[in-house]
Amino acid sequence: MLEVFGGHPYRAILVWTLMLLVVPFLPLDDYVLHILTLFLIFAVFATGWNLTLGILGLKTLGHHAFFAIGAYASALVSHYFGISPWITIWLGAIIAAIAGIVIGFPILRIRSMPHVAIVTLAFAEIVRLVLSNLKEITRGELGFWGIPPFDPISIGGTTIQFGLGNAFGSFAVAAVMFVGVHLLLLMLLKSRSGLTFLAIRDGEAAAESLGVKLAAWKLFAFGVSAAIVGLSGAVYAHYVLILTPSSVAGPDMLISLLAMIIVGGVGRFFGPIYGALLLTVSSELLRDFGDYRMLLYGALIVVFVFVAPTGIAGLKPASWRKPRESASQPAEAT
Amino acid sequence: MSGTHLIETVINGLISGSIYALIGSGLALIYGTTRVLNFAHGELLMLAGYFILLFAVTLGWPVILAAIATIVLVMVLGALLQRVTIAPLMKREDWAFSVIAATIGLSIFLQSGAQLIWGEQYQGVPYFFHGVAVIGEVRMPWQRIAILVVALGVMGICGLILYRTKLGRIVRATAQDAEAALAVGIPAGRVHTIVFAISAGLAGTGAILLSPLITVNPWMGVSYLLKGFAVVILGGLGSFGGAVAAGFLLGLIESVSVAFVPSEWSNVIAFAFLIAVITARPEGLFAGRGA
Repeated sequence: MLEVFGGHPYRAILVWTLMLLVVPFLPLDDYVLHILTLFLIFAVFATGWNLTLGILGLKTLGHHAFFAIGAYASALVSHYFGISPWITIWLGAIIAAIAGIVIGFPILRIRSMPHVAIVTLAFAEIVRLVLSNLKEITRGELGFWGIPPFDPISIGGTTIQFGLGNAFGSFAVAAVMFVGVHLLLLMLLKSRSGLTFLAIRDGEAAAESLGVKLAAWKLFAFGVSAAIVGLSGAVYAHYVLILTPSSVAGPDMLISLLAMIIVGGVGRFFGPIYGALLLTVSSELLRDFGDYRMLLYGALIVVFVFVAPTGIAGLKPASWRKPRESASQPAEAT
Repeated sequence: MSGTHLIETVINGLISGSIYALIGSGLALIYGTTRVLNFAHGELLMLAGYFILLFAVTLGWPVILAAIATIVLVMVLGALLQRVTIAPLMKREDWAFSVIAATIGLSIFLQSGAQLIWGEQYQGVPYFFHGVAVIGEVRMPWQRIAILVVALGVMGICGLILYRTKLGRIVRATAQDAEAALAVGIPAGRVHTIVFAISAGLAGTGAILLSPLITVNPWMGVSYLLKGFAVVILGGLGSFGGAVAAGFLLGLIESVSVAFVPSEWSNVIAFAFLIAVITARPEGLFAGRGA
């Protein structure tokens, strides 16, 4: 059960934080910072999805809908009402969370995994169609542009600018979100709530018999998961500054994120981060071969499911995993 | 809505419904016997589209011959898909999600592969049947009528096989309880392969009927896959007959909804209906006889 987090999770987050702090001092060009920014945003997205998919064990396939909801909600409100993106990204996260809880209700009634997969997929399709059909508001597939970037902030004498062309600022926002979300989520999962999630995954009926209120906990997990994904979508919107329904809520997004989670490790806390890093970087390297990107993602999903179902995070040190696994066995037997 | 318009709406609904029924009943057959959701089913349809294009247009074979060759080829592919990818995964403890993930990966792999091989352009297959049937005020191209008739015929044959033959009894027994079937000497593994082949054949039939209307392209299976899954769930836990009924119902809902809302909203209504049904009746609308 503890293998979810790996050896020293807080230390791992500290290491990530230090690495991200070093990045601005390296002689990197804006293009590299751009790729790292995308990686950080998708890592948060993948971690949020992994909360229901891997850690709670509900095989939802529609989280790209929450990404789209967060992105469009924040973009539309900041564009039409002139509210600062610093405020609207939270609105995006809240609206995504509400959508998550709403779609959580039909899922509570279903125990069969295929039904959950199809309901969530149908929900994502509805979101994509609604966004592309409400042309007066979203301009449909033509793309919603004119999204304001984050307002500049002044710290002391220096002003930090955001948006395209200001790679450092955007990287900083994404990095703060990345560290903040992972730290808060780790604290949540290390507490009693985390144990409850894992108990639900490992034995729903057993958990319920011990007094776990399944419905409330599942809705809570759905809300948190959708909020995280929605937040990453909102930050994405104010970074790329143009959205189309099929780019944020289309099948390509579903495949990309699913590939990141599966390659990284379903149900491992840090798995999606590795997956997001590997796939974001490799798809940029393959940029000149645009058509091969989805071919690669599809092949990677199949290969990892067959050869390494626990993903990159599960491949790691056999040395410390073995004793830990044998130590946890008697506990599971009780 | 005038009488003529109403009749045309209903017929159009039945025609698109018959395609949903062909695709959905194949998925339901697989789901009923193996509890597998085959996300690569849409790509079997797409590949069948390219096969009919190759045989009927590029090679210029007679339509019947081209259709038979297409269906045989796609059935072999379906059986191969089951043997190579799904059967090994089914041995695992967490197979349900592994199979979903693997078939999703395979689906996108085949789509991009088709795009690389055949390009992005949409390729047309000429109508197999020409002319327009005129009955009173109602006008309907023969090609569309043929879709309904052929689909009903093919599904009827499948229904007869399932409910009136020994093979059908074996399939239904495996669906009810694979272990018990194994205990009385039914090779469950081979039955699963046969079911995948039949299901692929149904999708292939759908592709042949559709290809003159929607043109062949790498993504032609995508939109039909989700509809197919909707049909499986509406029909109720892998019931073949239920899926056929649900397919026609979904087609009718779409065509009738177009009369009230702009057509780009019809899929929203169809999927919202699906979620509503799952919330109210998770066991489906036509639950009853298994497989």
